[in-house]
Amino acid sequence: MLFNSFDFFVFLPIVLVCYWLLAKSIKWQNVLLLIASYVFYGWWDWRFLSLIALSTIVDYFVGFKVYRSDDKIIKKRWLWVSVFFNIGLLGFFKYFNFFVGSWIELFASLGYTYQDVWTLSIVLPVGISFYTFQTMSYSIDIYRGKLEPTKDFVAFAAFVSFFPQLVAGPIERATNLVPQFLKPRTFTYDALSKGGKLMIWGFFLKLVVADRAAIYVNAVYNNIESHDGLSFIAATILFAFQIYGDFAGYSLIAIGTAKLFGFDLMTNFRRPYFAASVSEFWTRWHISLSTWFRDYLYIPLGGNRVSKPRWLYNLFITFLISGLWHGANWTFVAWGALNGVYLIAEALLFKKGRKGLHNVLLTFVLINLSWVFFRANSINNALSMISEMLTNPGRLYIGSGDDIAASLYATLAIAMLVLVETKKEYFNSLFTISNNRLELIRLVGYAIVVFMILYFGVFGESQFIYFQF
Amino acid sequence: MKFVIILLMIDFLLGTIAKQIFFSQDTGKFARATHVIEDSEAKVMVFGSSHAHRHYVPKVFEQELQTTCYNAGAEGQQLLFHTALQQMVLKRSKPDLLLLNIDEDFLYSSREAYDRLADLHPYYSDHRDVLKPILEMGSPGIDFKLFFKSFQANSTLIHALRYYASPQLDQKGYRPLYGKVKPSKNLKRFENLEAGDDIDPNFVITLERFIAEAKDYGVPLVFVTSPNLLVTDYTNNESLSKIREIARKEQVLLLDFFNSETFLEQYQLFHDTSHLNNDGAELFTKLVADRIKELQHSK
Repeated sequence: MLFNSFDFFVFLPIVLVCYWLLAKSIKWQNVLLLIASYVFYGWWDWRFLSLIALSTIVDYFVGFKVYRSDDKIIKKRWLWVSVFFNIGLLGFFKYFNFFVGSWIELFASLGYTYQDVWTLSIVLPVGISFYTFQTMSYSIDIYRGKLEPTKDFVAFAAFVSFFPQLVAGPIERATNLVPQFLKPRTFTYDALSKGGKLMIWGFFLKLVVADRAAIYVNAVYNNIESHDGLSFIAATILFAFQIYGDFAGYSLIAIGTAKLFGFDLMTNFRRPYFAASVSEFWTRWHISLSTWFRDYLYIPLGGNRVSKPRWLYNLFITFLISGLWHGANWTFVAWGALNGVYLIAEALLFKKGRKGLHNVLLTFVLINLSWVFFRANSINNALSMISEMLTNPGRLYIGSGDDIAASLYATLAIAMLVLVETKKEYFNSLFTISNNRLELIRLVGYAIVVFMILYFGVFGESQFIYFQF
Repeated sequence: MKFVIILLMIDFLLGTIAKQIFFSQDTGKFARATHVIEDSEAKVMVFGSSHAHRHYVPKVFEQELQTTCYNAGAEGQQLLFHTALQQMVLKRSKPDLLLLNIDEDFLYSSREAYDRLADLHPYYSDHRDVLKPILEMGSPGIDFKLFFKSFQANSTLIHALRYYASPQLDQKGYRPLYGKVKPSKNLKRFENLEAGDDIDPNFVITLERFIAEAKDYGVPLVFVTSPNLLVTDYTNNESLSKIREIARKEQVLLLDFFNSETFLEQYQLFHDTSHLNNDGAELFTKLVADRIKELQHSK
């Protein structure tokens, strides 16, 4: 089920009312959340519920085995069961065809031709990259002694499948979310109000910023032969806001929805395009994933407490794998590698943190360059687009008919987003609408945002970009 | 609760302004649709997509048939839209003749056909009886969605401002194309259309409804296919075969100009491979008018 679908607008109030009617029993609230989460996911394809159920069962039992064993080696073996299972699931459904196809292409380039009988017709289960990482964090945190396993299977299953963040994050840590399923949740007007506000802004980001920008971006990126450098630059800048609006929008809707049910999820984006360095960007962008990789990959590899070459290697490999996590395509690997290179360059060239508007702009340019690989349909396309940007500005494509209007709406929405975020970043103590002392100003402010969503938003029930990861 | 009240007030206030802006347009696709729905008393009305919009010259029909004509063709729209428009027209006015320009892919599945129905949202509050069944084919809960006035006028502001600044003039709904397509090796000499996507049963029902509506109101209906530049083999086109079958069954006259010798490879009559230029449109309209005259005489 999509957040931006009519189904969700029927589903959410029903579940919410039932949930708070059951406020006296955590157990029944969890049962309801579990059922609702499975319905939410099954709305897309019920067959893949079995994968979530399997992942839940495996990590539930692994958690106990790891916790109860006194022998470190046995603990580790059980941990590997979880890691192998979850990575195996991910590997099979997401990467099997990619690796087989890449091997076949590699051998073909060396003159050995194989008939492609190995690739399979596999559907990528939505959200598999998110829930497998979340369940793994449970077993790893128990192994590290940060968490005790819960005996409450329903609460654990509800944690794994919690519908607000099941398919596109934030990837919650078990240490943060599992305890919330085990303690009473109380209904408060404040949580309802905060959750609602987050959802409204999330929908603005998705429907007005991202989906409007997508129209121009798709027109250019899906037809690069017909466009020149200036159009590629414009489309890439719009894509930067598209992916931000899409993914940050999803995260805000998820966090807001969770709040309605009395849960606090972690912040996933913190105005990333105001970062003054790429390393700072990664502390502001998809925070739940970057901290996951930091805690469960980068630090176990040794982090920065190793020799300098090894540290740089750790940085690079972490970003390379992060790129692969985003998709089974060499474009994502290149995107991850490029970010790894940025971080290595920063580590070698700058001793201190960077500040200032010129560094914010430089970082924005570097990140945009990496987005070209992220969005392009192939590495060759990405390279030829970058080459055109540098050598052949040509004519700026402005679209025709309704496309022009879409680009104008996108530009207006982005201008509003930049204004709001600039105010939050640099002048937060100045006038505020969302937290104004006067209730009327707060209410009118959010009502105007809802009006803008209704008047300027795109309502085609388009998918969120991060569903594919 | 306070928020809901304020939201409804703002939606009413700003939504009303948005709809005022929408309905005050004098030119452009929305102004044409509004004219067709609310005002037009033309005796010959042409429906269809860009092929209708660009191929039928009302002035020629008026001269040839001694009547009034309006071209209600709408670029990018498909059967669902045309049927909605036809039903809204027939509720108010009784033309002497309806022409539906048939595109060969009218019945093939198309998400755009549903998405583009958003152009009809501003008319929902006044024509709910006609629009609800059509809009709900593509999107459930339409009453809930269109409860908000601002959503009814979604995405129309820039369109309106654009045509205030630069009016898009038309000739009773027709907008001529100029320029000639250049003969080129890149143009396919023979296009064998393979079977496309699946037939959408909703589109079949809608075509049947278009015919039934015309019959119910006692308005003669003629289907017309527009000429093409290059010879095209439609034998595998399930959509077109189905349309022909329905026309035969319902006894609707189909004037077939696909692969018409008069137009094949007549580059001077085409703006591009699928659209006639003004010269081509005038000639085509004259030929259609002649056939209609023959039909009227034979009756």
